[in-house]
Amino acid sequence: MSYILNRILSMLLTLFLISAITFAVTNILPGDVAMMIMGTQSNPEALAGLRESLGLNDPLLVQYGRWIGGMLTGDWGTSLVFKEPIAPLLLQKMTASGLIVLFSMSIALICAVPLGVWAAVHPNRWQDTASSSAALLGVSLPDFFWGIMMILLFARGLHWLPSSGFVDPGEDLLLAFRHALLPSLALGLGLMAHLTRMTRATMTGILNQEFIRVARAKGLGERTVVWRYGLANAVGPVMTVAGLQVGYLFGSIIVIESLFNYTGMGWLTYQALLNRDIPLIQASVFVIAAVVMLANLIVDLLYVLVDPRIRLS
Amino acid sequence: MLDDVRPLVAIDNLRVEFQGEEGPIVGVEDVSFTIAPGETLCVVGESGSGKSVTSLSLMRLVEFGGGRITGGRLEFASAAGVIDVAGADDATMRAIRGKEIGMIFQEPMTSLNPVFTIERQMTDGLRMHMGLSGEAARARALELLKQVRIPEPERRLKQYPHELSGGMRQRVVIAMAMACKPRLLIADEPTTALDVTIQAEILSLINRLKRETGMAVLFITHDMAVVAQVADRVVVMCQGKLVEEGPVEQIFASPKQDYTRALLAAVPRLGEMRGKSAPEPMRLIGDEADVRAPLLPQAPEPLLEVSNLTTRYPVKGGLIRRTVANVHAVEDVSFTINKGETLALVGESGCGKSSCGRSILRLSEPTSGTVLLDKCDIIGLSARDLRRAWRDMQMVFQDPFASLNPYMRLREQVAEPLRNFGLAKGSEVEDRVAGLFDRVHLPRSFMSRFPHELSGGQRQRVAIARALAVRPKLIIADESVSALDVSVQAQVLNLMMELQAELGVSFLFISHDMAVVERVSHRVGVMYRGRLVEIGSRAQVFETPRHEYTRTLLSAVPIADPTRRTIGDDLNFRPIPSPVFPLGHEPGPSEYDEVAPGHLVLKDTMT
Repeated sequence: MSYILNRILSMLLTLFLISAITFAVTNILPGDVAMMIMGTQSNPEALAGLRESLGLNDPLLVQYGRWIGGMLTGDWGTSLVFKEPIAPLLLQKMTASGLIVLFSMSIALICAVPLGVWAAVHPNRWQDTASSSAALLGVSLPDFFWGIMMILLFARGLHWLPSSGFVDPGEDLLLAFRHALLPSLALGLGLMAHLTRMTRATMTGILNQEFIRVARAKGLGERTVVWRYGLANAVGPVMTVAGLQVGYLFGSIIVIESLFNYTGMGWLTYQALLNRDIPLIQASVFVIAAVVMLANLIVDLLYVLVDPRIRLS
Repeated sequence: MLDDVRPLVAIDNLRVEFQGEEGPIVGVEDVSFTIAPGETLCVVGESGSGKSVTSLSLMRLVEFGGGRITGGRLEFASAAGVIDVAGADDATMRAIRGKEIGMIFQEPMTSLNPVFTIERQMTDGLRMHMGLSGEAARARALELLKQVRIPEPERRLKQYPHELSGGMRQRVVIAMAMACKPRLLIADEPTTALDVTIQAEILSLINRLKRETGMAVLFITHDMAVVAQVADRVVVMCQGKLVEEGPVEQIFASPKQDYTRALLAAVPRLGEMRGKSAPEPMRLIGDEADVRAPLLPQAPEPLLEVSNLTTRYPVKGGLIRRTVANVHAVEDVSFTINKGETLALVGESGCGKSSCGRSILRLSEPTSGTVLLDKCDIIGLSARDLRRAWRDMQMVFQDPFASLNPYMRLREQVAEPLRNFGLAKGSEVEDRVAGLFDRVHLPRSFMSRFPHELSGGQRQRVAIARALAVRPKLIIADESVSALDVSVQAQVLNLMMELQAELGVSFLFISHDMAVVERVSHRVGVMYRGRLVEIGSRAQVFETPRHEYTRTLLSAVPIADPTRRTIGDDLNFRPIPSPVFPLGHEPGPSEYDEVAPGHLVLKDTMT
């Protein structure tokens, strides 16, 4: 129990640091919130008045205090570009992105684990070479390349799936999945390549361990030895790497969502950056950081279930 | 008489090959021997002799390590009749593995799957081979745990491997191997990774199980002392070939082959130094060069004086990594080493002997106590002065594979201390390094080699040369010969004694091996739970041990003599308690009785 408390406390501390850094960096960036609101042609006195009323002339620390206070009490401010309250906007976009992040992670894990195990079982044979080459190809090419390839093949060529857009799963679940599938595949390919290599390395190490030899000496079949005895030991490490990749995925969605015109967090953040929508930038960076950390916390807590050596103390 | 019985195993002309970079490499060839039902056959040899490959071939497990049986027959008399393991199909092999042949391995710490409970690992074989239900398998597992004398067997079934000690895990592995009442148990170095008291327990356990069940045992080991204690017959292997075979008494009393003779000569036998006042080099066959035995100077002059040395390591925990407890690694230890003398610290793993050595050099900072080297107070030195003091005391570590930098030529590694301490410049460095290579009997051509181009024994010589480079007064040798094959170990031990005789260097010799310690030391200190429980001259400690723990330790050491079998039937030593204590725990000082001049024994109340 104290372990969980420990982890949550350290997570809150990190979030606090992130909030401070984000706030500081966005304030150093060129661009003026007041001018963004009123336009570049506005009259200087009116601008000065707006600055005063927004509190932009206050010391940075006071501004930060006001901002973090708002974040904590649920008042996240209004987006300058979308002219909407930020909190519900982020919730909606996070749901959209969460869908493709989960989707791509599932695709990646479902393919990567068997491929990696398969390669590890046949070290330095054609199975290993094939799996390693495919994985190398996957990590070498950027996500958007795969995205473009998929649009060309599945949308333009075969007309199986829509090439762009987002549909709310609440409205039409099937259609939402059809729209999420291509961006998820594009994201999942690189991830899968990475996880395949990771699974192979982990399993290779495990299969050389003495307890595997002991299991064989007991007369257990190869399938049991590899998929029960071996894989049970690989779940933890693979899960940890997958958890760390959630952060990488939130970086990748900025490009992928723009490519597929999929209006999620990545697309939103990109719009916010493009238009110097400072309150929105601050809030979305904060939310992404929180989600990534939460994902890793969940992974660490799940680790306790798969590895009895880790105790919650 | 045994000839009338059909052999359980008949290996005929076994040949095993491994796929190398450039074609096949022969792992084992022309190996033939038999195992009769109920007998213990020991296969003994040094690393690379092919002894493990032979045993793995019998289970056809060698293929999983990249090997292939390319010739010969491996006949095994199974319940269903004699089968040739070399040509059997996979299904037949799976039916034999674990059912008719059980196997135990060297590393109890890694032999069990860390994420499954003991119950699951013990029952899966039973369910598969014997078709037992979950309930019946559990009952049998419980029975097996009782048979291997594990305390609280019910609780163990629910536990995971990491919750068990090394000795207990090896018992579980043995219980697993015994689960289906095999006709043959293959034990591949089953006690090599264990402490000597636990080794004695496991050996006696295997002896008892063998007698109770009538199974045969194929025992693989590098340790001649273990062979002498357990074998009925012995097969000696060297470089993939069978060298000699015969009953154990014959192998030890009148070995026919030179290799066997050399191997036996290299093994120190506990008790053979009785009545001798100074250490004595081993008589090595093929290396008749007269090695001078180190003698003691007439008037003993103290070099290292350690008083009340205490070292504790903090155990961190909680949110801000506070210290929540202390490991009492070294607890009020005092001793003196005279010039030109070897003091050995012996004890089992976790007794604090290595921490003690490291604390003297302040590689681990002691909590309290004083260390005087030639009257210089080591504990009080500043970081810069400490560095200078290290010139006088050097360390040789256990693992010569890890203690040499793989990216540096050996010349540079031996020259490093000379340069660091500004002891030589320019061409003088080269001359000094060449001299050091001569000193440790390595060819000068090795100077431009890298560590991976040398064998383990050669590397340890380089490590010794490096320690000698600064002409230290004291060398702390921390398990320096433990990782070496016996013949190499003997050469390195002789080298150390020779250096002592010629240079007058003192040694603090840290080791777990009682027989080696008896051979090399002038004085001996026995450590237990961080304290020195007994210290005295070699003769005092080995011939008239007074502390209970010293006696336990000595009684557990296997003796390399089949006529002196000390491994009983049912040994069970007291487990060593944890050295972790709560904060603020202050155990009393070490108080000793002087039972003879210079022979100190810790008072009973202390342990």
